[in-house]
Amino acid sequence: MRALRGLRVYLLLAGAAFRAEFQYRGNLFINIIGGLFYQGVGLAFIWAVLDRFGQVGGWGLPEIAFLYGLRLTAHGLWLLPGHQLVHVDEVVIEGEYDRYLVRPVSPLVQLLTRRVRLSSLGDLAGGVVLLSIASASAPVDWTPGAVGFLLLAVLGGALVEGALQLAASALVFRMKKVSPIKFAIDMIFSDFGNYPLKIFGSAAGFGLTFVFPLAFVAYLPATVLLDREDELAVPAWLGWGAPAVGVLLMYAAYRFWERQTRHYESSGH
Amino acid sequence: MKAHLACARMEFRVALTYRTSYLSSFVMMLLQIYLLTVVWSAFYDGRDEVDGVSLSTMTAYATLSTLQYTLVSPWRSSPIDQRVREGKVAVDLLRPIGFPGQMLAGQLGWASAAVPVLLVALPFALLIGAGQAPASTAAAVAYPLALIGALLVNQLLGLLLGMVSFWTLEVSGALMAYRFVAQFFSGALVPLWFMPGPVRAAAEWLPFQATAYTPAALYLGQVEGYGMAAALAVQGAWIVALGALAAFVWSRARHRVMSQGG
Amino acid sequence: MPVIEVADLVKEFRRPKRQEGSFAGLRTLLTREQTVKRAVDGISFQVARGEMVGYLGPNGAGKSTTIKMLTGILVPTSGTVRVAGTVPWRDRARNARQIGVVFGQRSQLWWDLPLRDSLWLTGRLYDVPTARFEEKRRQFTKVLDLGSFLDTPVRQLSLGQRMRGDLAAAMLYDPSILYLDEPTVGLDVVAKERIRAFVGELNRESGTTVVLTTHDLDDVEELCDRIVLIDHGKVAYDGAVAELKTRYAPHRELVVQTDALESVEGAEVVRREEGKVWLRFDPARTPPAALVASVLARHEVTDLSIVEPELESVIHRIYADRG
Repeated sequence: MRALRGLRVYLLLAGAAFRAEFQYRGNLFINIIGGLFYQGVGLAFIWAVLDRFGQVGGWGLPEIAFLYGLRLTAHGLWLLPGHQLVHVDEVVIEGEYDRYLVRPVSPLVQLLTRRVRLSSLGDLAGGVVLLSIASASAPVDWTPGAVGFLLLAVLGGALVEGALQLAASALVFRMKKVSPIKFAIDMIFSDFGNYPLKIFGSAAGFGLTFVFPLAFVAYLPATVLLDREDELAVPAWLGWGAPAVGVLLMYAAYRFWERQTRHYESSGH
Repeated sequence: MKAHLACARMEFRVALTYRTSYLSSFVMMLLQIYLLTVVWSAFYDGRDEVDGVSLSTMTAYATLSTLQYTLVSPWRSSPIDQRVREGKVAVDLLRPIGFPGQMLAGQLGWASAAVPVLLVALPFALLIGAGQAPASTAAAVAYPLALIGALLVNQLLGLLLGMVSFWTLEVSGALMAYRFVAQFFSGALVPLWFMPGPVRAAAEWLPFQATAYTPAALYLGQVEGYGMAAALAVQGAWIVALGALAAFVWSRARHRVMSQGG
Repeated sequence: MPVIEVADLVKEFRRPKRQEGSFAGLRTLLTREQTVKRAVDGISFQVARGEMVGYLGPNGAGKSTTIKMLTGILVPTSGTVRVAGTVPWRDRARNARQIGVVFGQRSQLWWDLPLRDSLWLTGRLYDVPTARFEEKRRQFTKVLDLGSFLDTPVRQLSLGQRMRGDLAAAMLYDPSILYLDEPTVGLDVVAKERIRAFVGELNRESGTTVVLTTHDLDDVEELCDRIVLIDHGKVAYDGAVAELKTRYAPHRELVVQTDALESVEGAEVVRREEGKVWLRFDPARTPPAALVASVLARHEVTDLSIVEPELESVIHRIYADRG
């Protein structure tokens, strides 16, 4: 019942944000293109180098494209609802958060729906297109189970990225300025996430799995789907369990956010 | 000149004011250098040389271009559209020095805030084996020239792009797209010598290579002898061409601001 | 039966201590030293249902910090707040349904959407039944005269129009308590008057409890029977407006239009100007009737009036005394 109301309120507010954004629709198309380019340059790099070198860590272009597409789709899927967390600094410092607290609606929902950034659609569209093409050429046996797992993996990846960004955002109530931390997280996801983790060696691989859980976004699920479990330093079930890890991390991050929100100090006393 | 210095100094301060961002951009840069070193080693996969380029030259190239990128092309590509949006451009126009000059000086000041970062990053790069000394005396002499050239080409491109905001304020998406096209074709990610044929041809005919590839390739001796002079000449030609274009666009933009108000 | 109960309320803000000298920024970042500022320092008061209370104090006295604790925005450092039986910060959503909040400086409306949409969204967020919503909207459109700008995006409204829109949104769901933070700041006289009239009527018709912070004491004089004055985070005065004046400014002034008046028994001449004389007296010691009689008996008077002290000067005096 509560969840149902939560969803209804979310849709209501998101709808309002969409209507507001459409007042500036001149920018819409170009923003989507901008979003596409942002992700495209990383892909261009890998494509250009793989064209010459053929493989990286034993992964060829089809596998890397699949990994890239999986990560990008997860990223876009998170960004569409989660983009506004980028503005958490200004919302908290300038006291806009006050207004969220006097309404009978989750402040986090109000923060996420304060505006929509349609350039996120560019990330998602780019990811879906790339993932579709790469899925067709990657050596995966597309049983219904595998397709189902792929969808869950995308969702799980979105939740992992979202969880880290949400947890970092929650620090704003104590630290006032967290955007540099969030930029750094974003950079690690978008730069390190596109390679088979094993090329970083075992120490960094361990760190990027258990300390900074990047591996669960795309690498682990892609590895098990591509039937490359042999190269994993961790048991394969961890790869199959990646979506569940996403759910757990998001739950933990949300609880953390809820606790930190008590430290909100508003602005100008 | 004094006024330009003041402008540059102000921007330098602004850059330093955002300390946390500054520190974290520094950490991110080191991470980037580490990442590229690892990734290139993985691409080489045990081979010593590919197309006559050794792995150590390649990682040095990657490091150098990352460092240069911090210096030459800061995140903020041009402050102009922001100033036009906030209506501050009218104030800028009242200052006694030319507006493009102010913007260029400001950008250079911002870039110079990156110098301390570079000083700390260099030992780190050497430590992880991603650094290299200039390939020759000629390279050591040519490099600073090429770097200044790169800085100028980049600032002129930024200035030109920023001035578009005098005609339309809806530039953010376009700027974003531009930045990444420019980054790719500059050779900052993939050196021109590893680009697939047609892409390489395009990169050679675009101005962006002058902002990253030229100095790095000179430094590492990938371009030598007569080629050095040619590369510097191409840079110089771009500076002249872009400078002339910027002056022309500026005269139109100025006319527009004067007749419509900031 | 008090609807708002505040007891021993304290709010402290901690800041990393700002370092000075060279590398000040870096050292500020690294230091663990903190400065503690007590913005609210043991405040207690109660507000009865249907009361209109002016909550006053100079800038930085802890006014808005208190209001933010009452509305559930800030969590108190210690002490208790109960608003209609709920603890605002703990039971935030429930509290939100029973209060209306209007911040003069910051709109609660959706900036890029027409006012009509903001009202509709507010109705939906607070689960106002459609029929009730329609009725309320019609009522407010009439009373606050919103008709001409219902379809204008909020960002294009004038300040006065926006405030009226904010008030309508805050009262759409019939909250029993209304917090107004500087509701008339920056408005012209007509707009101020309209807002005051609306709030006064709400209180009379629906028994809405109103807590008002303002710098404009005309708001208070016109609306409130009671004021709570705070200074340096503590309550400096809590009681009726009239009582405040008698206690802190017992004097009245008699203004007499006359040719010549040197002195009068029981009063002091404080000012002379263009044939007018201002006489200050204490009504407790010198009954006004007696004073008037003695002036009239001895002088040729063309006009005369008794002036009450203004709330503003009274409050100034209180702060001056404490300062």
